[in-house]
Amino acid sequence: MVILSFVLDGGVSILEWLATSIGFLLLARKLGWQKRWQLWIPGLGYLRMGQELDAERDGWGFFITYLLTTVLPFFPWEKAPDKVYLGFILVHLILSVFRLIYRIRLGLTLLRTYHAKKTWLILWIFVPPAMLFILALSDRYHPDSGELDDEVKAGTAPAEIEGAEEHKGFAMKDTGLSIDLRERSVRDLSKKRYLLKDIQLNIPNGSLVLLLGGSGAGKTTFINAIIGYEKADATILLNGSDIYKDYGRMKYRIGFVQQQNLIRGSDTVLHTIDDAARLRIPREVPAEERKKRREDAMALMGLTAGSQGLVGKKSGGMLRRISIAMELVSDPELFVLDEPDSGLDGVIARELFTQLRAIADTGKIVLVITHTPDRVIDLFDKVIVLARDSGRCGRLAFYGSPEEAHAFFERDSMEGVVLRVNSKDAGGEGLADEYIERYARLAAGKEEAAAQ
Amino acid sequence: MNTKQTYRGRVSQTFLYLGKFLRMFVYQNDWKVLPMAAIIAAAVVFVVGGNLFVTQEGTLMGSFALVCVCLWNGFFNSIQVVCRERAIVKREHRAGLHMSSYVAAQVIYQFLLCVAQTVILLLVCRLAKVALPAQGTITRWGVLDLGISLLLVTFASDMMALAVSCMMKNTTAAMTVMPFMLIFQLLLSGGFFQLSGFAAKLRVVSASYWGLNSVCAIGRYNEQGMVTLWNTVFKFRNIEFMGEKPLLEIIRTIEKEGKVNDFLLWSGSYNQNELFVSTVENVLHCWTLLGVIALVSIVVAIIALEFIDRDRR
Repeated sequence: MVILSFVLDGGVSILEWLATSIGFLLLARKLGWQKRWQLWIPGLGYLRMGQELDAERDGWGFFITYLLTTVLPFFPWEKAPDKVYLGFILVHLILSVFRLIYRIRLGLTLLRTYHAKKTWLILWIFVPPAMLFILALSDRYHPDSGELDDEVKAGTAPAEIEGAEEHKGFAMKDTGLSIDLRERSVRDLSKKRYLLKDIQLNIPNGSLVLLLGGSGAGKTTFINAIIGYEKADATILLNGSDIYKDYGRMKYRIGFVQQQNLIRGSDTVLHTIDDAARLRIPREVPAEERKKRREDAMALMGLTAGSQGLVGKKSGGMLRRISIAMELVSDPELFVLDEPDSGLDGVIARELFTQLRAIADTGKIVLVITHTPDRVIDLFDKVIVLARDSGRCGRLAFYGSPEEAHAFFERDSMEGVVLRVNSKDAGGEGLADEYIERYARLAAGKEEAAAQ
Repeated sequence: MNTKQTYRGRVSQTFLYLGKFLRMFVYQNDWKVLPMAAIIAAAVVFVVGGNLFVTQEGTLMGSFALVCVCLWNGFFNSIQVVCRERAIVKREHRAGLHMSSYVAAQVIYQFLLCVAQTVILLLVCRLAKVALPAQGTITRWGVLDLGISLLLVTFASDMMALAVSCMMKNTTAAMTVMPFMLIFQLLLSGGFFQLSGFAAKLRVVSASYWGLNSVCAIGRYNEQGMVTLWNTVFKFRNIEFMGEKPLLEIIRTIEKEGKVNDFLLWSGSYNQNELFVSTVENVLHCWTLLGVIALVSIVVAIIALEFIDRDRR
């Protein structure tokens, strides 16, 4: 009777509670949720939905405001002084508004997951169980993982792949880039999500390296981890210096060109690159040498001719070159580029990669992410393939030369390689776990042979 | 091999970015804020400039309008400057930029803009033949005192907007916040709305409040005549009392003896406002508080930008 009274007096009718619970149970069956008994507890269905659909904060927000708006009215506020009573009404009103906002946000996530129209939100606001019944029972609506970023997509338990975690024979080197990335994870409220796991490799100086991987494999996360911007549980050595331990100095030895052209349009090309040089080149370098480096970088990137023009007036290809020149001017030992050829046609992209090859030939390590590698694959020395395992965690599926990659994946193009490890949802063959395991065995064998 | 290398420090980076902002002033058409300031100043002075620094009512209304011009200029100078290039600043921070240097460069650049806008505002007042204060309270020149006050109001509001710009992730969010900041300033100016309790305490962080007080003090509000009483008496001049019109008689007598101005000063002497007292202490107090508001805003701006790496990619 007490529970019944709680439910009724709290403003939640038994009918609504029953309908909502059944709606959540049907949804849980369709989506394969565990611990379905929790869905009978008032309010908890929304929290579970938030957790399962990667909207845990909204789930908790709804659950807490739901609890407070349900429990608070049980106190005898009407007997309290007027000001306290008014305060209660105000607090209750605010909490109710927040409860509604969280419910709307959860509804939007649900609709997005099912690719349903946003107009359904009206039904969700007024009759949530009806919306749950429709999405759970209709064959028309199917859930999808959507195009979310690495952190949201990441799973809470990496797949257990034989050999991948036993890769203990890896030896770091004092020359080139040596990566021992044990784990990169984030904490999302109650859950630990794994973005990357067990990636060990040595890249020699003078290499132009291609970083491949499907959507959500963790390419950008990997890059941010190795340049020290987003630290992982890892040891990263650049020519013997630990990037994590001495990040303050090491960051000047690393150049990173991001996906977007993050440059001010209202300055000249010359001043933009000169300011980058002044910011990044050590004070000990004489002004003449600094000027020479600036001019060399501009010449290499073909920017000398229009150097007095405004950045904002330049074409997309020129902007990419300016972005590269800004990083190149500091003469970094490790040069990382995230999709430098995006928006460029084949001829210009080829020219750009030829310039990157020239940079690598000066003894630097150039690491590149690109979605159209096959047109320039002959320029690369090495390929890193990241794959998303069945536990939605980024893992190393291959590291070697492009020829070895073709043989390993039995595909004659890099796009074919990506399709091998991409999930079936993403149009791939869904063989990520298999190749991660195969590569782990291969790498272990190579190291064993090297040790002997 | 690179252990002994040093990189540009905060001061050097400040001037590097100051140079960049000054170039962008030309290339990005930021100079347009100057003619805009002139247009706004002209519009306001045209409406309220007639009795500014002549009567108490004209001084209060005109000072409030001048302060509003300064607030408007200040807010619009910097509300978008940082948030519109937030991703660039984040990249540069990664490349070694100190946030304190970046904000310092913005502060110097914005200060120069504020100086130019204040000079333009004063020039427009002069051209419109506004009776600017002849005698100064702090310096020998009233115009200089007034200019410093207006500059400090512009700069303080500019720095508040800069802090908001540093906190917001994009220009849409910043421009949404700005009207609330403006309304907050107008309400708390103390010129036209009587505030009490907590609202009155909030005035301490209002640039408009200290700006209005200092401008009225420099304009010698308490030494001016009050026209409200004269106008009210004039309005009721035809009221009859026991078959006579005593108010009309009084008005005629005062006018006949040429003592209208004395009447205004006399009535003004009963309308003294201690916040507008023309003393060095009062004006310096107002200026100090405006400086403190600007300083706190600068600190907030730096702290807000120090967390820029937490922005989600």
